[in-house]
Formats: sequence, C-alpha cells, structure tokens
Amino acid sequence: MIPTPEVSWIAIAPDLVLAIGAAAVLLVEVQWKPPARILGYVTAATLVMAIVLSGLQWALAGDAVATGNQGTLLAFSNMITMDGLAIFARFALLVATGLGLLAGWRFVEGLGRRGAECLALVLLATTGFSIMVASNNLVMMFLGLEVGSIALYVLAGMTKERAESDEAAIKYFLLGSFASALFIYGVALIYAGTGLFGILDIRRFFSAFLVTSPAVIYIGTGLVIAGLGFKISAAPFHSWAPDVYQGAPAGIVGYMAAVAKIAGFVAISRVLLVALGDLDATWLPVVAGVAALSMLVGAILALVQGDVRRMLAYSGVAHAGFIMTGVVGGATDGVLFYLAIYSIQLVGAFAVVAVVSGFGGARSSIDDYRGLARRSPGLAACFTVLLLGMAGLPLTSGFVAKFGVFSDAWANEYQWLVVVAVLASVIAFAFYVRLIVVMYMEAGEGEQLAVRGPVRWVLGLAVLATVVWGIFPASLLDLAADALPL
Amino acid sequence: MLTALILLPVVAAVIVALVPSRRREMHLSLGVALSVAPLALAGYLFSAFEPAAGYQFVERAVWYQPWGISWYLGVDGISLPMILLTALLVPIALGASSAITVRTKEFVVYTLLLEAGLIGSFLALDLFLFFVFFEVILVPMYFIIGIWGGERRIYAAVKFFIYTAFGSALLLAAIIALAFNYASQFGAPSFALDDLMNLDLSAGVELWLFVAFALAFAIKVPLFPLHTWLPDAHVEAPTAGSVLLAGVLLKLGTYGLLRFNLGLFPETSVDAVQIMGIVAVIGIIYGAVVAIVQPDLKRLVAYSSVSHLGFIVLGTFALTSGSLQGAMIQNVNHGLTTGALFLLVGMIYERRHTKQISDFGGLQKVMPLFAGFFLFMAFASIGLPGLNGFVGEFLVLIGSYATLPALTVFAAVGVVLAAIYLLWAYERVFTGVPDKEDNLGLKDLSVREIALLSPLAVLVVILGLYPAVLLDKITPSTEAVLDRIEATTSYVVPAPGRISDVLMAGPTE
Repeated sequence: MIPTPEVSWIAIAPDLVLAIGAAAVLLVEVQWKPPARILGYVTAATLVMAIVLSGLQWALAGDAVATGNQGTLLAFSNMITMDGLAIFARFALLVATGLGLLAGWRFVEGLGRRGAECLALVLLATTGFSIMVASNNLVMMFLGLEVGSIALYVLAGMTKERAESDEAAIKYFLLGSFASALFIYGVALIYAGTGLFGILDIRRFFSAFLVTSPAVIYIGTGLVIAGLGFKISAAPFHSWAPDVYQGAPAGIVGYMAAVAKIAGFVAISRVLLVALGDLDATWLPVVAGVAALSMLVGAILALVQGDVRRMLAYSGVAHAGFIMTGVVGGATDGVLFYLAIYSIQLVGAFAVVAVVSGFGGARSSIDDYRGLARRSPGLAACFTVLLLGMAGLPLTSGFVAKFGVFSDAWANEYQWLVVVAVLASVIAFAFYVRLIVVMYMEAGEGEQLAVRGPVRWVLGLAVLATVVWGIFPASLLDLAADALPL
Repeated sequence: MLTALILLPVVAAVIVALVPSRRREMHLSLGVALSVAPLALAGYLFSAFEPAAGYQFVERAVWYQPWGISWYLGVDGISLPMILLTALLVPIALGASSAITVRTKEFVVYTLLLEAGLIGSFLALDLFLFFVFFEVILVPMYFIIGIWGGERRIYAAVKFFIYTAFGSALLLAAIIALAFNYASQFGAPSFALDDLMNLDLSAGVELWLFVAFALAFAIKVPLFPLHTWLPDAHVEAPTAGSVLLAGVLLKLGTYGLLRFNLGLFPETSVDAVQIMGIVAVIGIIYGAVVAIVQPDLKRLVAYSSVSHLGFIVLGTFALTSGSLQGAMIQNVNHGLTTGALFLLVGMIYERRHTKQISDFGGLQKVMPLFAGFFLFMAFASIGLPGLNGFVGEFLVLIGSYATLPALTVFAAVGVVLAAIYLLWAYERVFTGVPDKEDNLGLKDLSVREIALLSPLAVLVVILGLYPAVLLDKITPSTEAVLDRIEATTSYVVPAPGRISDVLMAGPTE
C-alpha cells in the first residue's frame, strides 16, 4: 500500500491561494454579478497573498539552506520543491500576472460578463505554471504545464467574435498539445531508461551509474527539449508564435507570452541542468544549436515584419535564444535574471501595443506608430525605453541580462555561441531601432492617444524596472544568484 | 570630481528638460550656459593635472562585485586633451544650432547627454564601464542625425547605428573574453584596465581579441574600407551633430586604439604595425583623393576627416615618441579645425540652403570675414607652419619615419593632396567674381558666429606656436605606453625614435 504523503501546506500555499482565487472570482461573479472592479480587487488580493506567501517560502528556503536542511524543502513525497529557483520563478510569474492584468484591464472590462472568466483563466494559468516551476518530478511538471497551457489556449480565443482570435486559439491549441505530447513522451522515455520520474532522483541516478548506450535517454531528452521548446517559442519550434501573438487579444497577449516563457525556461533549466546535469556533454551541443538558430531566425525574421505584434513575436524567438545561451552557460541565475526583466519589458511593450491598436484588436501595423512621438510623447518615450531595453542597450536591464548569459556561456567554453549571440543582438538592434525611427522621425497623422487607467502604472513600472535595474542591477542579480535549485 | 564631470551635463540635460517646451529660445541659450560648467571643470582639471605618467584624480567604487565591475574613473595625458576638447566643442556646437527650430528642447537634451557619454568613455578605466558609455553614445547621436538631419537623415542615422553597433558587439565579446581570461588566471573576474594589463594571453587569443578591438575602433575612426557610414552621417547631420561627430566621436576610435589595443595587446600591436600602417595610409590617400572630387562642401570636409584620421592611426601604430605625440596632438587639431570647418559649412548652408560648391563663387567679396575664417581653418587643416596642423602632422611624419619609412613617404603625399582639395574648394567658392544672383545678398558673419569661431581660431594659433602647453601634459603618458611595450615585448623603438635619444644627442658645446 502506498503511504499517504505528509502534507506540507506552506509548500503549496501560493498555488492553493491562486486556485482558490480563481474559483472565488467565478463564484463572486455568479452570486453577485458585481462590477468588474470588484472582481479585479479579488484577483489583486489573491495575487498579493500569493506573493506574501512566496516571500515566506523564500525566508524558509533561506533558513533551510543556511542550516543545511535542504531536505525539508521537498514536500509531497518529493513531488514539490520549495527551492530558490521555484520561488524566484514564482515571483516573476506573479509580477508578470499582476502587470499583465493591469495592462489588459480595459480588455477585461470590455468583455462584460465574461470578464470573470478571463480573470479566472489567468489565475488558473498562473497556478499551473507556478506548480510547473516548483515541481521536482517530471509528471508533476507535466501536470502544471497542462493546467497552465490549457488556460492559455482558452485565453487566446477570448474574443471569439473575431476570426483571428479563433484561429490563434486553434493554432495554439493544436501545436501546443502536440508539444505537450512530445514532452510527455520524452518523460516516458527517460522513465524507460532510468525507472525514475523525480528530478533529483534522476540526477542521483546519473551521478551513480554510467549508462553505456543510453539511446532511450537521448531520444527522451531530445523530445523534452522539443516539447518545452514549443512553449518558449525557440526555433525551430516557433512557428505558432507570430500567429498567436497577432491573433490573441492585445490586452492579454503580453501576459501569455511572459508566463509561458518563464515557466518553460525554468522547467528546461530544471530538467537539463539539474536532472540531466551529468549528461551535459550530450545535450549542450543540441541546446547551443537551438539557441543559435533561435537568435538568428528570430532576429532576421523580425526585421521584415510589418506588424508590430509579429515583430515582437519574432523578437521573442530571438530572446528565447538569448536565454537559451544562459542555459548553455550552465547557471540558473543568468537565466532567471533575464526572465525576470524580459517578462516585465514584454508586458510593458504589449501594453503599448494594446493602447495603440486597441485592447481587443488584432492588427497593429507599423504604420500606426508613425509620428507617435508627436501625438503621444509619453507613450513613445516609454516604448523607446522598453525597446532599447529589449535590444540590450547599456544602462538598461536588458544589457545586464544579456551580459550575464553571454558571460556564463563564455565561461562554459561556448565562445562561438557568444559571437553568434552578439551578432544577433546587432541584427535585433536594427528592428527595434526601426520602430523608434517610425515613432520619432517619420510624420504621421492620427488622433492623440491618451493613456488612461492602470496601463499608466504598468508602463511606469516597466520603464522604472528597465532603467533602475540597468544602472543598479546588484539587488536583483544577488536575488537571482541566491535562487539556486536544490 | 571626475564623476561630477560626467554628471554635470546630465544634470544640465535634466534642467533643460524641465523648462516648458514653448520657451524655444530659452532652451538653446540655457543649454549653452549650462554646458559652460563642464568646460570650466575640465579647464580646472587641465590646470591641476600634473604632467606625469599614470592616472590622476582616480575614483573607484564597486558596481557589482561578483562580476568584478566597478565605477572606475581616472585621467591621464591621453584622455585629458580629449575631455577638454569635448567640453569645449559642446557649447560651441549648441551655440551654432540656432537653425534648429523644431523640438529644440530635445535637441539640447540629446546633445548634453551625448557630452556625458563622451566624457564618460574617455574617463572610464573599467572596460565594462567604457563599453556602457561607448554604446550609450549611439542613442543621442542617432536621434540628432535622425530627427534634425537633412533629406536622407533616416538612412544615414540607421547606417551609423548599425555600423557602430556591429563594432561594439565584437568589442563586447572581446571584453567578456578578457574578463574570463582574468578570472581563470587570477581567480576572480575583473574589468579594470590596469588589472587586465597584467594578463598573460596566448598569442592566438591575443590576436583574436586585438582584431575584435581593432575592428570596433576602426569602424568608429573610421578606417578604410569601413568608412562608408561617415560621409552619409556627416552630410545628413545638423551642424552641431557634424561638429561633435568629427570633433569627438571619431576620436573615440583613435583613443581606443591607443589606449586599449596598444595597452592590452602590446605583442600583437607590434606585429600589426605594418598592417595598420598600410590601412592608415590607404585611408590618408583615399580620403584625400575622394575629397578632391566632391561637389558637396560638407562631403568634402567629411572625406578630409577620413584622410586626417589616417594620420592619427599611422602615428599611433608607428610606435615612436614623436608619432604618438603627433597622433595625440592631431586628435585635438582635427577636432578644432574640422569642427570649425563644419561650423563654417553650416553657417553658409543656413544662409544659402545649399552646400554644392558649384552654387557659390566669389564669396570673398560678399562675405570677407567668412572667407577669412574659412581660409584660416583650411590652412590649419593643411598644416601650414605656425598653425596647429603643422605641429601634429610634422610630429607624426617625423616620428613614423623611424619605423615605417616607405609608408611615411606616401603619407606625406596626403599633406599635398590636402592642400589641393581645400585650396581648390576655396578657389571655387570664394574667389572670382560673385556672378550668381543668390550669392550677392549674403550677410557676413554675425557677432554670435564670430564669437563661436574665435575660441577655435585662438587655440589653432596657440597650439601652432607653442604646442608645449599640450605636449607637456601628454608626453609622460605616451612615453609610458612605449615603455610598457618595450618592457613586455622584444620591440625596441628604433633610434632616434625616443625622446631620450633626441635629448641625449641634444645641443653640444
């Protein structure tokens, strides 16, 4: 008989709160039909509570590491871990969720009675990804992945009146579930080779035994990389990203992109760096190849896009490559720092897109940005800072992030990848700068865009984060350096 | 104090940004007034600077310990003149920008931020910090060209940006490589220049890093064949942009070659003397020949920059006392004279809205003062004895002859060509009978314009007659560069290339 695992409430407290919050939003809506604002407060309270509980976890994890009791950080028969990596990633997820909802608030309001669904789905997606980043077990990871992904598929089709939104949702769903299938098949093959699901168990297995011809493991690892590669939109698994970024409602797509990337990369780091860390000779070349391909494909294809959302999608592919460079570097802190600052910039950039092209809209041609600096100087200035941050100009957090992952990769003897990465950064400069050209140097007519409501806060915070962490990165870098996997 | 020198322009930019947009006239004058503060501080720095080797006024604060990055500033004889030049040209460039009538506030803000970035790059002794400033400069310059430039401004701005960003990308990779080599040799990474100079690099690694650094700076200088962004950027940029671009931005390249390539990779630098010399001389001749046939006055001055900067690179890599001194002096000279020539071209453009040489003729009669200043600056640029250009070019040529005799002979041709393109341009624009209707009513220089040009003219004369003002401060540092190269490599400066040779052979009874 299988013994009932001991329940460690604190290990799952943030996830529980998020799930309960999602249910609460729906129940409140059904019971009282309150104005959207009230639902917003419920969501906000949920997120704040989850952040507070994560802070508590962070303190506990710090104590446990300091006293050498790392074992206490594992819960539910080692299914869930409360290590620094998980908690940092969850912080990033929660911040991205909060900012994403603030940025898309007008979209949520515009949904009318379906606003509650949207909020609940967002909270559920965050719950799933939060479980995914904290799982110490491949099956648990899959569970979290699916909970999160399915919620995102629905969100992509939230504006079902528009054909693009439907199309985006279907594409996202079909390709996404295909990716999930690849992932779980990879997990099965790893299980076939080792008889284990636990991340730390697999690590111990490979450090204890030398597997002579681990073809099963190789294939399994490859499939896991491919499956997660879809989620983070790394080339050559990126083909869904532009269509989904373009079709999904503008108000919420920043959030969708950010959380999927955070969770996907933390999962990749956990599987590759922790579980299969001793096999790095086998997967490093593959991951380096994926990274190089993503950076080049993303940067080059972003150059020729006429739609800002497609451009941001391809730039996301390039960023996946840059973050992958950090995975090749073999350290999680560079990856985490990059994820934290990129997700904030991404949400901020999509907030601008939502303001310019409408919160539910799909088209966001680059022409809409002509002369934006004249029409809405504040908005253009914020967008410029965010674009320069994503381009990785010094004195923005993007530069520190790039510098971190590049130096990790260099230290890990992947010099060629760093050279590819810096060249891709230059190409990337070109398309970010192109948008700035359009905004500042070309004349264009159009109405003045007033930035109203919570979007202002999102833009302000994103710009602040980009600049402050660009000049004084030490605080966040130290946090990321402390956020180690077990 | 050095931190203050970087922050003063930033503070000035913030103050200007806070003035309401409708007070257009105020922005420019406020910008000029505020940019005098960094000039005053730089002047004080110059007078307080002891003529000795090594960095002075050093400031150091940890930025991020685990990466070994610090806010590390200092000034020596190589950076000192560049800082003074930057601080001098900014108020002049702003003062010459009365033609900027749209978005004046932004213009002043970008110019001041540009100044902060330039001064920061010259002061930084930490390679990470240097890279930050080096890269940040691109943004304000990009906006200055792209917003207030001429017809094809966007093309020029993007070309400028991409070229330079490409160079800096390689530079970044090389800087990371240096820090990691340091970490593997000394335990912890460091980006401090003096730490990295202790590195023991294998020849292969040193070669690659040298190439990466040299490419980044060669694009900035720009050396042939990487120069194609420069004429476009210059022609399209507004006057202030051209002045700062030619006066200071290009000097980042020559400064970087001298400071980082010679400093960090002495072995490879010695090996590269021939190649860099050849590239430099090609630049000198090519720039001059192309300048001769330019129909556009501004393009002509732009190509003359390519030629003049070739002299600086030649002097830098000839590795003798005289050539290095000459290169440094020429850095300053080129900033003064070419800066002034761009100002003059800008002034005539404001009046006539054309830069085509064929649209002018006989201006001497209409605008005698203007013609006088132009001729004076052209002479300075050609290297007429008594003016500053002579000192710089003479030192470069005489210094380079010791190591690169054949190339030096070719380089000397560049001096002749300079006389051809500048005097021929002068002849076509200024001499003869003013036969074109539009040129007859042109007003001569105003008091404001004379006030802008005079400081440059005065410095041209001072440096021409008594270059020791500058040379005394420069020489200990350039000698230190040579000392280090001689100490770390088998290279010996051929006699009489060192100052000590000359002094010993000095006046006999």
